[in-house]
Amino acid sequence: MDFIYMAEATPADSQRKPLVRSFLPTNLLVWLGVLPFFLFAILFILMPSSSLVVGSFQDTQGHFTFKNIVDLFTPSILNSYLLSIQISLVTAIVGALFGFMLAYAAVLGGLPRWVRTAVMTLCGVAANFAGVPLAFAFVATLGRTGIFTASLRDAFHFDIYQHGFNLYSFGGLALTYLYFQFPLMVLIIAPSLDGLRREWREASENLGSSTWQYWRYIALPILLPSLLGTMILLFGNAFGAYATAYALTGGFLDLITIEVGNQISGNVLYNPNLGLALALGMIVVMSVSIGLYSWLQRRTARWLR
Amino acid sequence: MRKINLWAWFWIFLGALYFFGPLYGALDFSLREKRGTLSLIAYQNVLKDPNFRNSFTYSTLIALATIVVGLLLIVSTAYWVHLRLPQARPIVDFITLLPFVVPAIVLVDGFIQIYSGPPFALTNTPQGTNVLLMFGYIVTAMPYMYRSIDAGLRAIDVRTLTEAGQSLGAGWITILFRVILPNIRTALLSGAFLTFAIVIGEYTFASLLARPAFGPYMVLLGQDRAYEPAALSIMSFALTWAAMMIIQLLGRGAPGQGQVAVAH
Amino acid sequence: MTHLSLSNVSKKFVETFAVKDFNLTVERGEFVSFLGPSGCGKTTTLRMIAGFEVPTTGKVILDDVDITDKAPNQRNVGMVFQAYALFPNMNVAQNIGFGMRIHREPESAIKERVAEMLALIHLEQKGNSYPSELSGGQQQRVALARALANRPQVLLLDEPLSALDAKIRVSLRAEIRSIQRKLGITAIYVTHDQEEALSISDRIVVMSQGQMEQVGTPFEIYNFPQTAFVASFVGTLNTADAEVVDPAKKLIKIDGVQLETAEELDGRQKGDKIKVAIRPERLNFVSVEKKANVLDCTIENITFLGSVVRVQVTVGGNRFNMDTFNNPFLELPKIDAKEQITCSREAVLVLKN
Repeated sequence: MDFIYMAEATPADSQRKPLVRSFLPTNLLVWLGVLPFFLFAILFILMPSSSLVVGSFQDTQGHFTFKNIVDLFTPSILNSYLLSIQISLVTAIVGALFGFMLAYAAVLGGLPRWVRTAVMTLCGVAANFAGVPLAFAFVATLGRTGIFTASLRDAFHFDIYQHGFNLYSFGGLALTYLYFQFPLMVLIIAPSLDGLRREWREASENLGSSTWQYWRYIALPILLPSLLGTMILLFGNAFGAYATAYALTGGFLDLITIEVGNQISGNVLYNPNLGLALALGMIVVMSVSIGLYSWLQRRTARWLR
Repeated sequence: MRKINLWAWFWIFLGALYFFGPLYGALDFSLREKRGTLSLIAYQNVLKDPNFRNSFTYSTLIALATIVVGLLLIVSTAYWVHLRLPQARPIVDFITLLPFVVPAIVLVDGFIQIYSGPPFALTNTPQGTNVLLMFGYIVTAMPYMYRSIDAGLRAIDVRTLTEAGQSLGAGWITILFRVILPNIRTALLSGAFLTFAIVIGEYTFASLLARPAFGPYMVLLGQDRAYEPAALSIMSFALTWAAMMIIQLLGRGAPGQGQVAVAH
Repeated sequence: MTHLSLSNVSKKFVETFAVKDFNLTVERGEFVSFLGPSGCGKTTTLRMIAGFEVPTTGKVILDDVDITDKAPNQRNVGMVFQAYALFPNMNVAQNIGFGMRIHREPESAIKERVAEMLALIHLEQKGNSYPSELSGGQQQRVALARALANRPQVLLLDEPLSALDAKIRVSLRAEIRSIQRKLGITAIYVTHDQEEALSISDRIVVMSQGQMEQVGTPFEIYNFPQTAFVASFVGTLNTADAEVVDPAKKLIKIDGVQLETAEELDGRQKGDKIKVAIRPERLNFVSVEKKANVLDCTIENITFLGSVVRVQVTVGGNRFNMDTFNNPFLELPKIDAKEQITCSREAVLVLKN
């Protein structure tokens, strides 16, 4: 997942030859310096993750079984995965589109400098304002008794809940997720837009191309790798979201994260091993989407070496 | 040119609407506890609630512990990688990005599986669970913390500074605390405030490990009160805002400081 | 035959003129350089020919067509940018063929032209490489081919060599010049490097603060700089304040020492303050007894510059550089020694203000 580092300049010190070149025994001492970190990674990332694999193939008594994995393929669970994938896809795509337009407007729209600063600051706040408080803010605004809902009802006798809107549904959750999705897109894509060099646009104009042709043949292909990278980040961001969904819908919307939470905390159905298998399935979904991303990345960025 | 400007303003306007709409909604709602008039009663109720104070204090303490232990772990690792182990960089980079692949809910599932029984039975005592929670938060905050500190170290020439320190007769500890850390203090503080913003309202880990943190408290309050949650929302927003503003003020003029955001 | 002409072209940015009253006619096939320090308006002028800037006043006429207000993509003008500006997502062949593809020319024609262009820049093997896989010099050759592929009426080059290192700069400028000659294309070349301008151009326009200082062949610009600015910007030059002694006899005085010049001093009065300039290579130590144009000096410093040895001397309150060709038998004076230097009367240039 190299997209995190995409916008960064090459470090000045990476040009220099490393002081330590090999894994010779004398250098084992040098590796001791990162031992605490690796220990931490093993204890709190790798072991918990691999325990999912082991636990997924065990029943509550610890005997080996395929039952949990087989159970993943029951319609209700498949639906949870599907719902989570759908909401992640929708919010990733819509968030990316909207975020892109906003970033474009702020960076290349020819607006005063302060607009850009303000947009970046607000996006920094919005991308980090999520989870429970965000859900509350949406309930207060668009819930059944929310300010917006109530004022529409009072002023125009128009009840959005009578006309198909429901905050505690797929659409409402998507709307809520978008609150942190599009600002994240803005934060990540803005540096890439900055990276579009003026000379590219001028060279293409000089060779006779229109604005549309410039975007079609040059700007979009150049941005595509970072666009894809950001989309996968947005996808993962929504796919793993638990707090926002739980606080908003109280666990009624059957997302896979909610399902995992139910299996662990044992509100209704308590089967920790099934919970582990569900979680394992989430890792599989994330890995597949990252694999897909790397494949697309290789195809779209042959020129990026 | 005029046409482009109009479109640009249109998108900015839409973005501003999306950003301020729910905030306005929450603010307005939070002031309406008393029918027919605007009041701060909801805020007073929240602040009077001992559970609020307890859970907020608890989350603040956990956040501080996360920041101290996390920074210690990540700064020493990043410094060492920059200085002596550049060949470990790819693997360290990879590990710090893993939390993006493994969502919190999945990780906490694994935590419970491993640490609820021997040999590491941490969840049997509240203290043990607190430690577990802290490490969970370090994992969650790690990508951002590492990124911030790595960028800070990239911006200074770690090797030359260290060698200069050594040639003047300074030892490792002196170099780290008197030379390196002061030069990346912006990165350290950014990492710290970001971590605080992540941890203070975190729900997934805290609720599934059943700790009395601020996140679960907010959810609980949301289930049986109407106006107080909106007040909490505004207060949380103010906290996030403050943390981000501090990060931005710190980052002004400092090279290699990207803005980052947390996963949910 | 006039090919390109700029008449009374000015460009004002907010309050200040970037270019003021620029007048120039360029012949077909001519290689003209705009030379000047950064901010002198040379790039702005070039960008007005390309259409990236619209002149505040004045006209740009190309092949008898007024193109002043035409959009850049409606002109047939090739441009090479300072930092390559190749499209990173396209390989070399796609970059070169881009302009023709935009103009919807048949695929076979594009292919043929690309091959022709690759041969012209000697990169036949690199058609499938991406810009990031090429060296800076190769990238700039591709950029040149890309600009030429469309068969533009004029080729514009905006400091195309300034991002390259010294050796490649010299070889590539020769290559640019030979390609330009081979194709017989009119070229406008912007540079801040006087050596580059002198070596490559048919004519040079020296610019300063948005205005033309002098237009002429490299020979004229170097040997007969007309203003103090041109004199100081092109080559190394010793300048000194002087006073007219006798306009008719062409006598002047530097720090009390009388000198003879070959230039006309018409319209000057005795006692007028003027500025004179002498090229370092025109100064010599006095070897045989000489009456006129002898200056007493003190040796300050001696610097080896390879084929040339530069001797720094003080003459009264002025400091002069004197260049001599290096040879193993050269006898150099000691520092602080008192010597006499001299120059021919043709070497004493009188500058216009």
